[in-house]
Amino acid sequence: MSFDANTIRDEFPILSMEANEHPLVYLDNAATTQKPQVVLDALISYYTTSNANVHRGAHYLSDRATAQFEHARDRVAQFLNAPENSYVIWTKGTTEAINQVAHGLEWCIAPDDEILITSLEHHANLVPWQQLAFRTGARLRVLPLTSKGEWEPEYAHYFNERTRIFACTQISNAIGVKTPLKDMLAAAKAVGAFTLVDGAQAVAHYEVDVTELDCDFYAFSGHKMYGPTGIGALYGKAHALDVLTPLQTGGEMVSHVTYNSTEFNTLPYRLEAGTPNIEGVIGLSAACDFLACQDREDMLIWEQKLARYVYDELKFNNDIEIYSPATDTTVVSLSVPGIHTLDLNGYLDSQGVAVRAGSHCAHPLMAQLGVSSTLRASFACYNTLSEARRFCDVLLEAIEILGDD
Amino acid sequence: MTELNRDAIQAQLQTCTSKEATFKELVSLSKQLDRLTDAEKIEENKVKGCESAVWLIERQENGVCTFQADSDAKLMRGVLAVILSLANGHSKAELQAMDLAAELNEFNLSSYLTSSRTNGILGILKRIKS
Ligand SMILES: Cc1ncc(COP(=O)(O)O)c(C=O)c1O
Repeated sequence: MSFDANTIRDEFPILSMEANEHPLVYLDNAATTQKPQVVLDALISYYTTSNANVHRGAHYLSDRATAQFEHARDRVAQFLNAPENSYVIWTKGTTEAINQVAHGLEWCIAPDDEILITSLEHHANLVPWQQLAFRTGARLRVLPLTSKGEWEPEYAHYFNERTRIFACTQISNAIGVKTPLKDMLAAAKAVGAFTLVDGAQAVAHYEVDVTELDCDFYAFSGHKMYGPTGIGALYGKAHALDVLTPLQTGGEMVSHVTYNSTEFNTLPYRLEAGTPNIEGVIGLSAACDFLACQDREDMLIWEQKLARYVYDELKFNNDIEIYSPATDTTVVSLSVPGIHTLDLNGYLDSQGVAVRAGSHCAHPLMAQLGVSSTLRASFACYNTLSEARRFCDVLLEAIEILGDD
Repeated sequence: MTELNRDAIQAQLQTCTSKEATFKELVSLSKQLDRLTDAEKIEENKVKGCESAVWLIERQENGVCTFQADSDAKLMRGVLAVILSLANGHSKAELQAMDLAAELNEFNLSSYLTSSRTNGILGILKRIKS
C-alpha cells in the first residue's frame, strides 16, 4: 500500500468544484472534512436497500438495518482498538459525547471536588465541565499547557486527591499542537480521577488506540474523519459508562416502564434514547473502512509535510506570526498583526481558498496567545503541495492588498 | 466628514461581477469611512454579535441623524460605509419606516452579508433604528 494524494483526491467528488470562479482549495479540514464516494454510496445504499428502524425487529428490512447498525458499532470499536468490556455509544458528535459524561457524572461530584481540563481545550471540552462545576460547587481547574503543548513539572499538583475528572484534548483544534496525553493520563489515573480524551482532531490523522491510552472515555465526531455530520461516538470502559446517568430518556433505552418507575436497558442502549442516526452510523462505518484501506502512516506524513511546507514558506516573513509548531502537526494557525483575520479570510475566499478565521471555539486559548483570532489552514489526505503553495501565494497577495495603511 | 454617496456606491458595487472585485471595492470603500477615536471606541458604542469589533455612534441635529461607525476589520468598514450611506441624513421616523435590510440587498453584497456576519449586520441596522 502506498499513499498518493492525487489518487485519493479522485475519490472526493466535491474537490473538483470551483469556488468564486477559482478551483476550490479546501483547507478547512479541522472544521470538517469532505466525504469520499464510498461514504456517499453507503448512505444511498442504506436508503435504497435497508431503510427501517433498528431494534424494532419483526421484518426483513428492520433485520437488515439492525445488522448493519450493529456491525458499525463493531467497526468503530475496532477502529479505536477498543478492549473487551467497553462500549461504543452513538452520539451526535464530540460535543454531545462530552455533555453525556459531564451530565452523567454529576451525581458523584461534591463541592470542593476538582474537575481538571487544560488550557488548549475547545469550548466543547470546557463549557460542559464549567457548567457542571457551577451546578455542583466543584472547582474547574485549568492545567496550563504552553502553546507548544508542554507541561511544566511545577504543575504536577494540579492532579491531586480532589481531582474527580480529568478531560483533555488529544490535539488542539486552534493551533494543531499535540498534548502530552500519556503523562497527563498517568497522573490523573494515579489520583483516581475519571479520564476523558477529546479525540475530535485526532481521528482523521492518527491511529487511535484506546487500549493503549487506557482512558475511561474517548469522544469524537464522524464529520472530522471523512464521515457524515450528525454522528459521533462516546467510547467508554464498561464500569465508567455504567455509572453515567443518561442525558436523555425514553425510547429503546428502557427495558420496563410503569407510571411509577423505569428500568433502564443495558449498555450500550441505556445511553441511546430515541431513534438513532442510522444513516450516520452506517456512513461512519464506511469512513472507518475508507481509512482502513489507506496507509495511515504515509497519509499522516503527507499531511504533516504540507503543513511543514507552509510553515517553512512563511516563517521568515516578518508580517506573519505563526502559532502552530513547526513539526508533528497538520495545521498552520497564524495571524498578521495589523490586518484582521476576517479580511485575510475574505480575500482567500475570493480566490477559492477555504480556510478558517476566528477564535476556533477557544477564547481562553486565544487570550493566552494574545490574539483575538487566528487564520487556520488545516490539511487532509487529499490536499496537494500545489494547494499548499497556492495558500501561501494568496495569503501574501492578501497582505499586500490589505496592508497599505 | 466624508460624504458617503449612496447612488455612487451602489453603482460602483453593481459593476462588481466577481467576489474578488467586490472584495477590492469594499476595501476601497473602507477608506471613505472616517475612523473613530479611541475615546469613542468604548463598550457602550459597541454593537454586539459582530464577528469583528464594530462601534456605532449617533448624532442628531435638527431632527436629522448622522451616524459614525468603525470596525477593526476593513471589509466590515466597507460594509459600514454602505450602511451609513443609506442611513445618514434621515430622521429617526424615516429610518424606522425604512426597510434597511431590503435596501442593503440592492448593493450586490449578498455573499458578504450571509452567515454569521448577517447577525452582526442586523444588530447594526436595529441599533440605527432605535
Ligand atoms: C478539539 C475539538 N473538540 C470538540 C469539537 C466539537 O465537535 P462537534 O462540533 O463535532 O461536536 C471540535 C470541533 O471543532 C474540536 O475540534
